[in-house]
Amino acid sequence: MTAKTEVFTEHVDVLIAGSGAAGMRAAIAAHDAGAKVVLLAKGPRRANHTRMSGGRYNAVSGFNPADSTDAFFRDTVDSGVGINNYPLTRILADEAMDRAYDLESYGLAWDRTEIKKYYMSMTGGGTFVRTLGSIDEGIGITEVMLHQLHKRGIRICDFHMLADVVQDDSGRVTGGLALDLSKGAWRYFSAGAVVIATGGTSQLYETSSGPAINTGDGIAIALRAGAELVDIEFMQFIPISFVYPPSARGYTLIEPAHYGMRHFDPKAEPAHLLNTKGERFVLKHDPVRREGSTRDILARAIMLEILEGRGTPEGGVLMHPDPQVFDAFLKERPIYIKRLLENYGEGHARLQEPIQVTPSALYTLGGVRIDPWCRCNVPGLLVSGEAAGGVHGANRLGGSSMPDIQVFGRRAGIAAAEDAREYAGGGAAQLDKARARAAALEACMQRNDGVRPPDIKKRIQKLMWDHVGLVRSGAKLTETLAAFRSLREHVLPTVKVTNKSRVLNREWMEFLELENLLDIGEAMAASSLQRPETRGAHYRTDFPALDSNWTANLIVRRHAGQLQVEKKAVVTLEKAVPAREKIAGAIA
Amino acid sequence: MPTDIKMRAEIRRYDPSVDAEPHYETFEVAGQDNWRVLDVIRSIYERQAGDLAYQFACRVGRCGTCAVKVNGVPVLACQERCKPEMKIEPLTPFPVLRDLVVDRSEIEARYEQHAYAPQRKTEYAGGPEPIDPLLAEDLCHKGSCLACMVCVSGCPAVEERAFDGPAFMLKLRHMAEHPADSGNRLEQAIDAGMLECFGCDLCTQLCPADLSPAQAIRDFRRDMIFGGSKKHE
Amino acid sequence: MSKATLPRNTTRQAEGLQYGDVARTLHRFSGAAIIVFVLVHVIVQAVRQVPMFAALNAGAPWLQTMQEQNWVHAILFFCIAFHTLYGLKLLAGELGFTIRYQTAFWGIVGVSALFGLREVLRYAGI
Repeated sequence: MTAKTEVFTEHVDVLIAGSGAAGMRAAIAAHDAGAKVVLLAKGPRRANHTRMSGGRYNAVSGFNPADSTDAFFRDTVDSGVGINNYPLTRILADEAMDRAYDLESYGLAWDRTEIKKYYMSMTGGGTFVRTLGSIDEGIGITEVMLHQLHKRGIRICDFHMLADVVQDDSGRVTGGLALDLSKGAWRYFSAGAVVIATGGTSQLYETSSGPAINTGDGIAIALRAGAELVDIEFMQFIPISFVYPPSARGYTLIEPAHYGMRHFDPKAEPAHLLNTKGERFVLKHDPVRREGSTRDILARAIMLEILEGRGTPEGGVLMHPDPQVFDAFLKERPIYIKRLLENYGEGHARLQEPIQVTPSALYTLGGVRIDPWCRCNVPGLLVSGEAAGGVHGANRLGGSSMPDIQVFGRRAGIAAAEDAREYAGGGAAQLDKARARAAALEACMQRNDGVRPPDIKKRIQKLMWDHVGLVRSGAKLTETLAAFRSLREHVLPTVKVTNKSRVLNREWMEFLELENLLDIGEAMAASSLQRPETRGAHYRTDFPALDSNWTANLIVRRHAGQLQVEKKAVVTLEKAVPAREKIAGAIA
Repeated sequence: MPTDIKMRAEIRRYDPSVDAEPHYETFEVAGQDNWRVLDVIRSIYERQAGDLAYQFACRVGRCGTCAVKVNGVPVLACQERCKPEMKIEPLTPFPVLRDLVVDRSEIEARYEQHAYAPQRKTEYAGGPEPIDPLLAEDLCHKGSCLACMVCVSGCPAVEERAFDGPAFMLKLRHMAEHPADSGNRLEQAIDAGMLECFGCDLCTQLCPADLSPAQAIRDFRRDMIFGGSKKHE
Repeated sequence: MSKATLPRNTTRQAEGLQYGDVARTLHRFSGAAIIVFVLVHVIVQAVRQVPMFAALNAGAPWLQTMQEQNWVHAILFFCIAFHTLYGLKLLAGELGFTIRYQTAFWGIVGVSALFGLREVLRYAGI
């Protein structure tokens, strides 16, 4: 009989989980609205997906007279193949530039051609040149934001993993239960509002571009709390990423568009992608935009080449860059050139030799269903950033995640402060619930025999990559769901850790992650099974065509332990700008 | 094509809550010659020592959280290539939480104290700030400092003297050069021990982001001697 | 084809020479050597030239032996040259002259070694 699990408690107005830009922007906004804020970072605070981003920022700055927020909106809906949450997309298009100015006010220096004129580049799939950037990329963005948090004295708790939210009997969230991994101590933060900004689920996949900690924790926590997920079947794969060394495998190399003159001019040539037979296989899939196509089409095209045996022995295809772009690329993205040099070689870094690339899981397009103020159907719970769904639809434009997290991070912060003001508090009853949950999550610490978490994690990652990844089919999805059920029922209860030390016990952390990975993996597989068509990032070999009856969203929620998948009409604007009808892929 | 190689990694193990003192554990690892030290550490965790405490996140040299000492030299574990013999230790001079993970509280306290947000004399007016494009480039280069603390760990002056460290000087210089900042960053630098710098350029050599904190210090010293900008007045 | 300088390849930081460490250690050692030399030099000259200290003359045969070793002088001259040149390099840096630390190190070590070599040659009668 174990002693009662000790849980330290404190009260805050707004509890934010996630140290990326969405979480930090929410913290700034909530603090400025008068709330007492605590931000939880799963690891050291700089360990997040924003940090790894190339920092490209789509916004209508006015420097391209041909562009407009309508055009940005239309591009996003087109790229999303019409299933975006139109109001959210509209907000993204309208507010992106103001948030870019916010970053400038924090000290970020956007790249310029003149003292007051921003430098812009193209993004794969967009119509007009509008993308801003800064040479320090996601590193620059996260640093200036961290200093804004320091300036406001906002407390950041490193190594604090949000394990679950606690709710009262009416379902209202009353706070968050976090595990301080640096001590192995449980903390219950009772809060007026909890903001989930924990990023995506890239770690669900064998080959991914995100940080090791992005195991979809926040999305799973929300799902367990009764939140609705939207578009969770849509996972964006970046078409090109590093093939080796192992530590760099899967890290994004962005898009072929940037390695050719198309980087500057939408009508120019992108870098070519060749299989081992020397064929430009993308022409089969998108003869118009060719390698300047959207990520979904490119990633699928590459994956199919590899699966059909026309890829390199290491599991990639070859990208032939245009050396003419090198000078600009070196000036704009020196960090990428450095990585090419270190991982591949000098010729590759100078864009003179073919670069081996492979697709990789990058961005969770779906997530928790939110309204324009980041509230979800669970009172007291707000979600923003990659953890939320609907902004980008079935495929995201490159450069749109950076404005998304700023725009919706701020909105989540404002709304959370408001919700916290109106809420009286949960009271002591919730502490018992927190304690009970903490006790349950200590189960693996008590076992002496069993399976180690890393082994199970790998199994899940392989299942997801093989069957719920770029290439899906009804049979394999059903098989995967059964495999997940089996893992949950038979294997999860046998998890043990090697060492009972409470300090920085990685296996314990991975044990907590396992439940999250399974929850999201199941939701993704179930939802993929229910969508009998191919659209954007979702590709079914048994339903390879776009089905206009399926211009709809799938909503997933958990009810009494069972997943429910429901089809719902797309949320459009009253005077919605109609999306141009696009056929996804010439195969159709 | 990478080739298979055998490596030996000696890792410093220490759990302050239970161990009286640290000890070294040696692992034989089979890997490939293009592996990084992080790949070796992960392999050990996955196959040999499930209780190993180590830190990483991005694994591509951007978050800076995986810094360790390899054969006595501070490096990013995810960037440094593996070697046939490796001695892997936590980053000095920071307190050790467990094994290879250090406590960054004091580092963050220093970042907070130095106040690296632009201290504006007038409110931000909205719109692009007037910044020369080449200056913007330079600001961005300084802005890509990872805060990994490799330079602070390698700095001999930090070891011997009352000096915050090269990374903090670089960020002070970043602010000093930012047109919107009006703080007296030179004075801050001197208070933080800038004058203790030996000019040895070890920080420049070790920096995984190709930056030169030593140059930032030299720029500050030049300002000190010849009178720099008067932004803060 | 662009000839622009690539960023550095920083994947072998723990291999190879840690320039700053070596330079700083050498600077310290050479500084100490100079101080020792000056001390010895002052005492020796005092003993030789100031009648009051003449009595000390008898107690240092090692001094004579030392002065006959070419390598002692070589090291001494290397130290003086290195300490001066490296000190000047530090000064130059602060005044605004940027020098690549690798070039500066090998250049200074090379020139200082020449000074040392000159001593060896002098002893050898060249």
